[in-house]
Amino acid sequence: MILLLSLTIGLSAIVVFPTFSEAQSEQKTFVTHSGAVIRTTGEVIDPLYTVSTVDFDPMEYLREFNYGDISELSDGTTVREFTIIAEDDKMMEVSPGVFYNVWTYNGTVPGPTIRATEGDIVKINFINNGSKEHTIHFHGIHPSEMDGVFEAIGPGGGKFVYEFEAGPVGVHPYHCHVMPLEEHIIHGLYGVFIVDPKEGRAPADEMVMVLNGLDTDFDTENNFYAANTIPFYYQHHPIQIDTHELIRIYVVNMVEFDPINNFHLHGNLYKYYPTGTDLVPSFYTDMITLSQTERGIMEFEYSYPGKYLFHAHKVEFSEKGWVGIFLVTDNEKQDVGEVDYGN
Amino acid sequence: METNHKSSKGKMIASGIIPLIFLIILTAYVFGPGSDLLDLGVPLPEISMELIDFVDSEIQVTVRNTGPIPVEVVMADVNDRIQPSAIEPDRFLERFETALVRIPFEWNESEPYLIGLTIEDGTRFEKEIEAAAPALKPDLELIGLFAIIGTYVGIIPVMIGLLWLPFIRKISKRKYHFFLALTAGLLLFLGIDAIEEAIEVSNENLSDSFNGILLVVTVTVLSFLGLYYAGQKLIDNAQLSRLSKPLAIALMIAIGIGLHNFGEGLAIGAAVGLGSIAFSTFLIVGFALHNTTEGIAIAGPLSKDNASTRSLIVKLISLGLIAGSPAIFGAWIGGFSYSPFSSVVFLAIGAGAIFQVIVVLFRMIREEGDKNLSSASVVSGISIGMLVMYLTSILV
Repeated sequence: MILLLSLTIGLSAIVVFPTFSEAQSEQKTFVTHSGAVIRTTGEVIDPLYTVSTVDFDPMEYLREFNYGDISELSDGTTVREFTIIAEDDKMMEVSPGVFYNVWTYNGTVPGPTIRATEGDIVKINFINNGSKEHTIHFHGIHPSEMDGVFEAIGPGGGKFVYEFEAGPVGVHPYHCHVMPLEEHIIHGLYGVFIVDPKEGRAPADEMVMVLNGLDTDFDTENNFYAANTIPFYYQHHPIQIDTHELIRIYVVNMVEFDPINNFHLHGNLYKYYPTGTDLVPSFYTDMITLSQTERGIMEFEYSYPGKYLFHAHKVEFSEKGWVGIFLVTDNEKQDVGEVDYGN
Repeated sequence: METNHKSSKGKMIASGIIPLIFLIILTAYVFGPGSDLLDLGVPLPEISMELIDFVDSEIQVTVRNTGPIPVEVVMADVNDRIQPSAIEPDRFLERFETALVRIPFEWNESEPYLIGLTIEDGTRFEKEIEAAAPALKPDLELIGLFAIIGTYVGIIPVMIGLLWLPFIRKISKRKYHFFLALTAGLLLFLGIDAIEEAIEVSNENLSDSFNGILLVVTVTVLSFLGLYYAGQKLIDNAQLSRLSKPLAIALMIAIGIGLHNFGEGLAIGAAVGLGSIAFSTFLIVGFALHNTTEGIAIAGPLSKDNASTRSLIVKLISLGLIAGSPAIFGAWIGGFSYSPFSSVVFLAIGAGAIFQVIVVLFRMIREEGDKNLSSASVVSGISIGMLVMYLTSILV
C-alpha cells in the first residue's frame, strides 16, 4: 500500500513539476534576417545559417554530369551505359535535425544527372534494391516498352534494361512511374536527363538545378522547398562564378502539391530556352514560371562582381528554403575558397 | 496463543503482499527490457504549445512534450515561414519536459499569427494566436492594478454580501433554513461552473495526454475529501478551541469560496494578459455582482454565532479577506505567469472545496430538524440560489 502510494505520488510529482534539463551556462549568439543579434543560453535551431552535416552535397551535385561507360556500335553510334540502383529505406538529414525517408536512385535525391548527345544509344541497367516496385520513366522520345510505366520492376533486386536513342535535344526529367505515383516522386525518385545537340553548345560554366519540395509530415503540403533538395544550402554556401563567363543552368521543376514554381535572378536577366529543345531563346527575362516537370535552360553572364540572390518569387517557397546566392568574382582563375555566410 | 497470533499476522501481511508481487512481475514482463509483447503500432510523438508570449521583437513559445516518446524540437516558423530561433535549455525534450523557444520576429500588435514547431521526424505542430498582444511585465503599476481589480472583484463584493448578516440574524428558523439552502444553491452553481471552466481550459490548452476530464474529476474529489476531513476535524475541535461551531462552518465556506475566487482571479488576469481589455472590464463587473452572493453564503451560518458585535466585525472582515483576497493572487498569477495546467488544477480544487461546503450546509440543516431536506424553505432556497447565480452569470 505504502509502495503503491509512494509510486503514485512520485509519478504525479513528475507530471506536475516538469524537469528541466541541465541548463548550459555557455552563451551562444545568432543573427536574424533583420540583423538583430540574439543571445541564448540554450541551443540555436537555425536551418538558414547553420552549416549542416548532410549526407548529400548539393555543391557536388550542381556540376556533376554523368556521361556513362562509352562504347561504339559498328556503325559508329555511341552507346552510353549507366547503372541505376533504386532504394527506399534511407533516412536522410534533409535540414538540420530533420530526418526524412528518402527514396533514391544511386543513393541521392535527385538521382545522377545523365547526359548524352542526340542520337547516342542510352542503356540503363536498372536494379531495384528497394522494398517496393519501382521503374524509371524518361521524358523524351522512345518505344512504348522503354517508357517505364507498365513493367513494374519487382523489389529486392529486380532488374530491367532501358535502352533507347537519346532525343530530342534538351533537358528532361526522369522519374519512377509506379502507383501511387505522387508518393514515389515526392520521396525522391527523380533526376535529370540532358540531351546535347550534335553540334554542341557554347562553352559555359554549367550547372543543374532541380527545384523540389519535401513533405516531411505527409499532409500533402511541402514543409521545405529547395534547389537541389537541401533547403537554404546555396544561401550559406554561395555558388561561386566569374564575371563575363557564360553561365548555363539546366533547371527542372519537380515540386509536387503546389501547381507552380518559379525562378527569379537578381541583378541580371537570362536567356531562357523552354525544355531546351530550341537553340534560339524564347525569352529574355529574370522570371520564369514552371509547372510540374516543366524545365528549360537559362543562360546569363554577370558584369559586376558581388553577391546576387536567386530564389522563387513565390516568397513562401524561398522562405522555406528555395533560395540561394551567386557569389560573382572578378578574378577568374584565383580560388576564392569557401565563404562562411552569415556566421 | 501468542505464536498463533504472530503467524496469523504474518499470513495477513503475506496475503497483502503476494498480489502486489505478481503485479510487479506483470509490469516488468510487459514493459521491461526485451519485451516486445506490447510492441504494436507506432508511438506518435506529440508536443503542445502551452503558452505564447509576444515580447520585444520576439515571440516566445513554451512547449511541452506531451507524447509517449522523447522528441527533439529542431525548427520554428511563424505563419508557416521558417525562422532562425533559439531553444532553451536545449532541443531534447523528455516526456512532459518543457522548453522555451525564442523566435526573433517583428510582430504587429493585434494581428493573428500561426506559430509552428517542427520535430526531428519532420512533423510540424502549430498553434494559432487570434491577436498578438504584448506580454504583461510585472511592474509595480500593473501589480497594483491587479491588486485593485482583485479587491474590487473579490473582497468588496464579499464584504457587501456579509452586510446582510444582521438581517439574516433577525429572521425565524424556517427563513434561516431558506438562507442556508439559498447558500447551498449558490455554491452548487459555482461548483458546476468551476468544473465547466476547468474542462474548457483543459480542452483548449492541455494536451490529451493529461486526460483533462479525469484530471478535473480526480482533483475535485481529492480536494473534496481533503477539506471534508480537515473541516470535520475543525468542527469537532470547535468546542476545544475558541471557534464556535457556526464560525467553523463559516470559515470553511470562506476557504472554499477563497479557492473559487482564486480561479476567478486567474481568469481575469489571463484575459488582461491576452489583451482583451474590453472583455475583462465586462468580466470584472460581472464577477463583482456575482460575488456579492458569496457574502450571503458566509453570512448564513455565521448568523448563529453569538459573539459580541465588535468581535463579529473582526470575524466578518477576516472571513471576507479569506474569501476575497485570493482573487488578487489569482489575478497576479493569471496575468504574469499563466499556465493552463495549474489553472485547471486550481479550478478543480475550488470545485471540490465548494461541494464539501454544500455537504456541510445540508448536514447543518438536517441536524436542525429538516431530516429529508424537503421543506419548502430548503427546496425554494436551493432553486432561487441557482436561479440568481444563473441570472447574474449572464452578465459575465
